[in-house]
Amino acid sequence: MTQKIEGVDFAVDEHIWGHRLYDEQLPHLAVLEFLGVLGSNVEHPLRAGPNDRVRYRPQRQIRLRGLLFNNPYVESIREKAISDEDKWQQWSERFAMDAAQLGDGDIAYLRKIFNNFEDFAKAIELLRSSSFEAKSNKRWSSKFVFPFGPDALYEDLRIDADGVASNDRRFFARTGELLYLMLSRAKRGPELGDQLVRRLFDSTSSMNRLVKALQGSTQHAGDYRDVGYLPHVTHPRFDRLCDDWLAILSRNMPVYDALEHMIASAGLNLLLYFLECGKKQSGDAEPVEIICEIVSRERTKVRALSGESYQSNQALSVRAVRAKVESIKMTNEWLLAAQSQDPNGNCAELLRSWFQWPPADGVDDGDSANSTGDQLTKTLADKAESRHEQHFGKIHAAWSRAIGLSSRRLSRRTRYAPNDRLLKTLVVTMVDDRMQFDEFLSEMRLRYGFVIGDTEGIRLVNEKLVDQEALSENRGNLETRLVGLGLVRRLSDSCSFVENPFITEGDF
Amino acid sequence: MSSPVVSSRESTTPPSSAWVRFLRSYGPTPNNLTLFDEFVTDALSKAKVQPIVLGSPMLDEIKKRVDSGIPGSILIAGTAGDGKTYHCRGLWMHLGGVDKDWTSKTPIKELKLSDGRVAVFVKDLSELNDEQSDKALTLLERSVGGEETEEFLVVAANHGQILERLRDIGKRQNRIHPLRKPIQDTFLQHGVAPEGLAIFDLSRTTRRESLSEVLHAVAGHPEWENCTRCELQAGGRVCPIYENRTRALGERDGGLFARRLGEIVEVSRLNGWHLPVRDLLALASNIILGHSNPKEAKEGLMACSDVAKIQEKGSIENASIYGNVFGSNLPTRRAMSRPVFRALASFGIGTETTNASDGLMVYGNDDPKLVQAFNRLLLSDPIYGATPGYLASLQRYLEGEETARVDNGAHEFLTRLIAQRYRFFFTTQDDERDYPYWMMTAFQFAGDYLEMVSALSENKPISEAIRARLVRGLNRVMTGLLIENNDKLFVASSGGFTQSRISVLCDTEVPARRTGGVGMRIKLDPIAERPALDVSLAAGEGNSASFLLSPVRFEFLCRVADGTLPGSFSNECLEDMLAFKAKLLRKAEVMRANRTSEDDEPSPDDGTLTLNFIEIETNGHGFSRPVTVRIGA
Repeated sequence: MTQKIEGVDFAVDEHIWGHRLYDEQLPHLAVLEFLGVLGSNVEHPLRAGPNDRVRYRPQRQIRLRGLLFNNPYVESIREKAISDEDKWQQWSERFAMDAAQLGDGDIAYLRKIFNNFEDFAKAIELLRSSSFEAKSNKRWSSKFVFPFGPDALYEDLRIDADGVASNDRRFFARTGELLYLMLSRAKRGPELGDQLVRRLFDSTSSMNRLVKALQGSTQHAGDYRDVGYLPHVTHPRFDRLCDDWLAILSRNMPVYDALEHMIASAGLNLLLYFLECGKKQSGDAEPVEIICEIVSRERTKVRALSGESYQSNQALSVRAVRAKVESIKMTNEWLLAAQSQDPNGNCAELLRSWFQWPPADGVDDGDSANSTGDQLTKTLADKAESRHEQHFGKIHAAWSRAIGLSSRRLSRRTRYAPNDRLLKTLVVTMVDDRMQFDEFLSEMRLRYGFVIGDTEGIRLVNEKLVDQEALSENRGNLETRLVGLGLVRRLSDSCSFVENPFITEGDF
Repeated sequence: MSSPVVSSRESTTPPSSAWVRFLRSYGPTPNNLTLFDEFVTDALSKAKVQPIVLGSPMLDEIKKRVDSGIPGSILIAGTAGDGKTYHCRGLWMHLGGVDKDWTSKTPIKELKLSDGRVAVFVKDLSELNDEQSDKALTLLERSVGGEETEEFLVVAANHGQILERLRDIGKRQNRIHPLRKPIQDTFLQHGVAPEGLAIFDLSRTTRRESLSEVLHAVAGHPEWENCTRCELQAGGRVCPIYENRTRALGERDGGLFARRLGEIVEVSRLNGWHLPVRDLLALASNIILGHSNPKEAKEGLMACSDVAKIQEKGSIENASIYGNVFGSNLPTRRAMSRPVFRALASFGIGTETTNASDGLMVYGNDDPKLVQAFNRLLLSDPIYGATPGYLASLQRYLEGEETARVDNGAHEFLTRLIAQRYRFFFTTQDDERDYPYWMMTAFQFAGDYLEMVSALSENKPISEAIRARLVRGLNRVMTGLLIENNDKLFVASSGGFTQSRISVLCDTEVPARRTGGVGMRIKLDPIAERPALDVSLAAGEGNSASFLLSPVRFEFLCRVADGTLPGSFSNECLEDMLAFKAKLLRKAEVMRANRTSEDDEPSPDDGTLTLNFIEIETNGHGFSRPVTVRIGA
């Protein structure tokens, strides 16, 4: 609890969840940042102990990104009815104008790589088509190519008018670094690390070689840096995430497909970590519950319930923040400080040692020197809550939407309604061969807190919040949905099996 | 037994009354008869008619197994309506059991056999409480394992029931029950049953012949003889029940009706629908007795006593056998609660149609170009075709009378139109060029599918047109491009996720017809008993992936080949295909890795990378164009 965090006015959220989880860093961005950290540690992947210092030097690959995402001229020049030589000429003139500040004027190497301009344009188009968020209006330096291999990885950057590049922690805000720490602290971390390196860091894969050709020699960031801070030495969620990733990698599918599932899985597990830590901090011992509606045409009671479940989970984190601050008042040290000769000063000192606030030089809003311990605590709690709303407080909403868990379809407010993609990821992750449908539902409850059917939702039925039939219908809807996705085989009435199509050898 | 006299005109009870009433009890009435076998035995003795006899080859197998004296127990599995109780009782009687003991209320019955063994019968596992079930399952385990040789178990249960009970007993005993996985695997046809356990899965036994057998047993039943003496048919009057029965038997149309019905039931079966025997009997009963006006036929099923009134009201056409097939005589909810009507509804017959067919039905009577066909196909059937009622309604519809202009005013005629569409499917000849019957269904290519299945099972080559269409459809789904190739198959990727809709990078190309161990082959999968596309990327074992072709998947590929967008036909099929594509790409990935590791010495990296882009010529023909990228060392 005494870990000092640089660059913050006070540290409350950081001690509950770590420094830091960030709402705008969606799961795919977290995984990309994670791969960057892994890239600097391929010799000993995911083997850092809780007290080890993990460092990494991310790549920047500015030439590559410029060619792909800051290069609008390729299409128009490609269409022109001029000679190949002229195309190159015109294009390089226009491109050089923008790229000059980055010192990338020399692109003669491209002419050596590609036979003609058309081939060059095709390659660009191909890489763009598989990139993340290519069509979004994010700044070009925040667009990412698919992680085909080690040469396709780079960090998020802000490139200002003078061409100076820096990581402003807008999209790579250290969530990926925390992901690295979490997996390192999982029991099977080293096993996962080896697999990831073997399958995702193969520089000989053809798409990686293409990327490397466009980039030329690797461009790194200036120097090594430390990763963020993760307060928990162990946590069951770390192991769950690690096991899930290992399961996905063991399936019979190309590794690039596996990556898509791994991103969703990371998003889900990180979200649950966020909720679980929040609950624990508030003193709530009940496991996280996510009541899901399987969307159907009619409006059911389950929809209302899933909306309330969403709201209730949404409110968890801010409660935890206040609880954390208030918890200092329960300690012996506080009691002693309050009864000492200088209660205000000593309480302030204790607060400072926990939360890095009030600042030692006393320059802050108001007369902190004259405030009592209780007043200070209240002020800090208010400040922490207010700051929490800006980013940490938005994590639940942003991430649940990103992984396809929450939705506003057919409803006024957001509620939990997993989409097809997420359901597919769940089956791919959880089912080793085939599993009876009831077992599948119960396992989903155990691992991720999902409540869908009447068996898992028995508490809700007993508390008269919903009738059994509505939940039973919800369960039936899930079965039908999974049949439609080719993931469930009905043997006979009330006997169906969830099957993972990426396991069974031979026929479908 | 007396039957109520309905019409004052009738002085005698129709001779087939008892038989028809018995048959009616098999039909889709609102009663949910779970103890069907008992009910039938009961009704049979009351009606004093001959029973409906169906062959039960499984029963003979079961009897043989027990008679053989091979040690071990018997598990009879199936869904509701498969005949589990029927088979159990059959065995009981065969082994010398008495009917009185069978009908007693005890859920577990014992029978001493002539060879000294004791057979313990559980005719429905779900009737047992936990304690009884544990006892029975313990006996099962011991007898299968060989520890117990004096007693053995004969148990009938649903698939889900037995697996659940085994899981529960396992939980109570803190272990995984050793029989659970082998039984599960046998059900899913992924394994064989252990030595001491004979599993008879009744849901696996329905074959194509099952329907025709049931239809024959019902429509060809000797009790129909009585109808020849019946007043209701005298003097040229038409009895709808007897009319339907005659049509079902196929005496006048050369068995066309039965054949068509057999085809859609077969396609349903190949699509994975399981139609238990009880459902087939319900279908047969409904076909003959169905009538769409519940005021004239109680619950939508006729009895002899209803016929006179129906004849009087002139509503014989409401008993059309063609609509009865789809349960159109029943309220939707009741019909859809039966698997057989759900399965047949998936063909969309009645709502699917072609411009030509509808045009004929609506304008044919007045259009000189069509009148011949109209006479041949509609007027030729005065009972269920273009009846006076139909023609009158058609007239009102075309003339646009006031009533027709009001909301739903056209509804009456449209209902009749639907009835005619039903009829069309079952009555247009095989070689009817202008009105191909499969086009009246949602499975427009089902005819090709059945043709393919029969060609494969006789080891004959399948038609080129069918193969070409499959290849074209496959290519379009794989690449997401509208390419026309039917000479080769593109295994395409987009570089990144394989599930992206458009994939322009050609990973591998294989010929559409297998040569030298490479390429696509269409064969009959022996376990699934369905055709499968087998794509081999290289010669030798383990380099291929298979894709089972159910009628739905076949239809999907053919539609896509003809221009439908994959996502708009069926998302389920698209998902299946993308999973197959991922599998092929994975195989290619593994093959590449193996090939490079098998090299004796690493070949020098010549510093080039070749990417094969798929391009399309103006005529739609796709080809892969290599793009060379010089990487350097």
